[in-house]
Amino acid sequence: MATHITFDEARTILKKMRDEQVRDGDMVVKLWEGFLIHHSHKLADELWMVYEQVCIAALDCRRLDLAEECIEALQYKFPDSMRVKRLEGLFYEADGRYNEADKLYTEIIEKDNTNMIARKRQVAILKAQGKMAEAIQKLNEYLKKFMTDYESWMELCDLYLCEFDYSNAAFCMEEVIMSNPHNHLFHQKYAEIRYTMGGAENMELARSYFAQAVKLNPNNTRALNGVLLAATNLATAYSKGAKEKQINARYASWAEEQLTVKYKTQATDEQRKETKVLESLRKLLELSQNVGGS
Amino acid sequence: MATTIAVRTRKSRRADTVAYSEMALRQNASILEYCRTSMACLGGATAGILGLTGLYGFAFYFITSFLFSVMVLIKAGSRWNNYFVSRKILFTNGFLGGLFTYVLSWTFLYGMVHVY
Amino acid sequence: MADLLLDSNIRIWVFLPIVVITFLVGIIRHYVTILLSSDKKSDLQQVADSHALMRSRILRENGKYIPKDSFLVRKSFFNHEEKGFFNVEKREAQVKNPMTDPSMMTDMMKGNVTNVLPMIVIGGWINWAFSGFLTTKVPFPLTLRFKPMLQRGVELQSLDASWVSSASWYFLNVFGLRSMYTLILGQDNAADQTRMMQEQMSGSAMMAPPDPMKAFKAEWEALEITNHDWLLDGVEEELTGGIIQPETIYIKNKFT
Repeated sequence: MATHITFDEARTILKKMRDEQVRDGDMVVKLWEGFLIHHSHKLADELWMVYEQVCIAALDCRRLDLAEECIEALQYKFPDSMRVKRLEGLFYEADGRYNEADKLYTEIIEKDNTNMIARKRQVAILKAQGKMAEAIQKLNEYLKKFMTDYESWMELCDLYLCEFDYSNAAFCMEEVIMSNPHNHLFHQKYAEIRYTMGGAENMELARSYFAQAVKLNPNNTRALNGVLLAATNLATAYSKGAKEKQINARYASWAEEQLTVKYKTQATDEQRKETKVLESLRKLLELSQNVGGS
Repeated sequence: MATTIAVRTRKSRRADTVAYSEMALRQNASILEYCRTSMACLGGATAGILGLTGLYGFAFYFITSFLFSVMVLIKAGSRWNNYFVSRKILFTNGFLGGLFTYVLSWTFLYGMVHVY
Repeated sequence: MADLLLDSNIRIWVFLPIVVITFLVGIIRHYVTILLSSDKKSDLQQVADSHALMRSRILRENGKYIPKDSFLVRKSFFNHEEKGFFNVEKREAQVKNPMTDPSMMTDMMKGNVTNVLPMIVIGGWINWAFSGFLTTKVPFPLTLRFKPMLQRGVELQSLDASWVSSASWYFLNVFGLRSMYTLILGQDNAADQTRMMQEQMSGSAMMAPPDPMKAFKAEWEALEITNHDWLLDGVEEELTGGIIQPETIYIKNKFT
């Protein structure tokens, strides 16, 4: 972190972080305490936004004292604001006082029925307490109302994964894919879920979605590995006819080729020796090739 | 023969699926709109101060707006595809709205300079 | 016809003030609207409905990215004959009577106060204060039809149609400054009253459809005719640069 930055620079950095929703609590707190706190009156109307930002950042770093200061200042200015109430709830959550936080959120929802954030926080409380099943149920209820909240679909997917409920997780992931079909990570994750589920059909789907992820981002090594593994699996275990086996073996060899190029160009010699990636890749390939050829 | 044709149509369909970011498109369009309005304003002011009348004034608008489009096109360079869906909207978008602004500022400055 | 000569005092005391007044009123209106605007409380049911409609629309557009089974599951969630979302959910049309709902009433009041009132008041005042002036001349010839439009308040038969009277100059400004506000106040400004009116007309269909049943029906129809065409079909071949087996494509294309 640079030691000499001016007030204006600090202010601009914070604003940029706000706009781009960067979550770097440490940085924000440092900027606030180092540069802005003594000149906070100069921020004028922006001050309240900064307070909110700093408060969340402080909670992220478990600086409860700082967060409390911010909340008090905000409460003094906006006594009835829902946004401040939410911060208060976050504060309770950070402090581990889940019941109070939950009560606060319920209050907010009663006042404003359509408050999405409070509802989501309630799910987060359940998750923090380790009550996965309840969290899933609550999030499901929430999603029945707010069907296009894709962050929540993603979260639900993760919750299902914690519970090893893969088919439901896959369903959630499909929703997420539809929300933004050009994000290769979504495709990759979906493929991974399908791959884990196993079975010929799922494996084929996994191969397709891994391939789609690679197509969207050719540098996605994880997806390339996925293509290789899924194709090898299909070639050795699941394929019905010789032709299908051959096709899958070809996919596997293609993926292996790509991976080898990647490892040769990106990794250093030592890294390669240590991991023995290339050897294992070759072995995998031989496996699929033998089956395919026979 | 028929089979190869089938393959080809398939490929071409694939090539068509280009991803557009809705937000970015809108952002570009609004910046374009902003520039065009400013351009129309400035053009109108110029025409008014020069004292163009009648058809000359309108011709001036068409020329400035065309020049503006060409300038944007040059700015976008050969990769205009990255910023706009089609080149046509560069020329047509906000053309008439710009005309209105142009006429107002033209009239205003013409009145200020030449009528009295 | 000899050219008219206007007193240059008219320029300073009539022509310019009208432009400045119109402009400033627009800006003041912008801020007053911000000041008066109340955040709209929306009904949970309405929000849920709009989310459902949105999800169905996304399904129609991006359904090709998910496997066929998954698409059909979702389609039947919305369109199943007996249990489908669009067939089961019943909403009565919420045509709110503005007289019974006090919050609607105040909203309308505010809308009127900020939009219509200044227009009438300022327009009337300008008509009264600057009546009977010829302010400027448009720099292009116009036909006689434009005379009543441009020469309000000046009834001269023989006057060339391109002369503009003060009242008309005001109205020209009201409509012409719209894009200037966009430049100065940003895209979604409240000074632009004509756009506000348009929005009131169309009823901002995005957030809360006025009649959910109608919207459901339309969406149901649109979804009903949507077919699933899996986009990932053959993606591996495309990736590995192989030739797509023509016969498989043929068969798949025929029967999907």
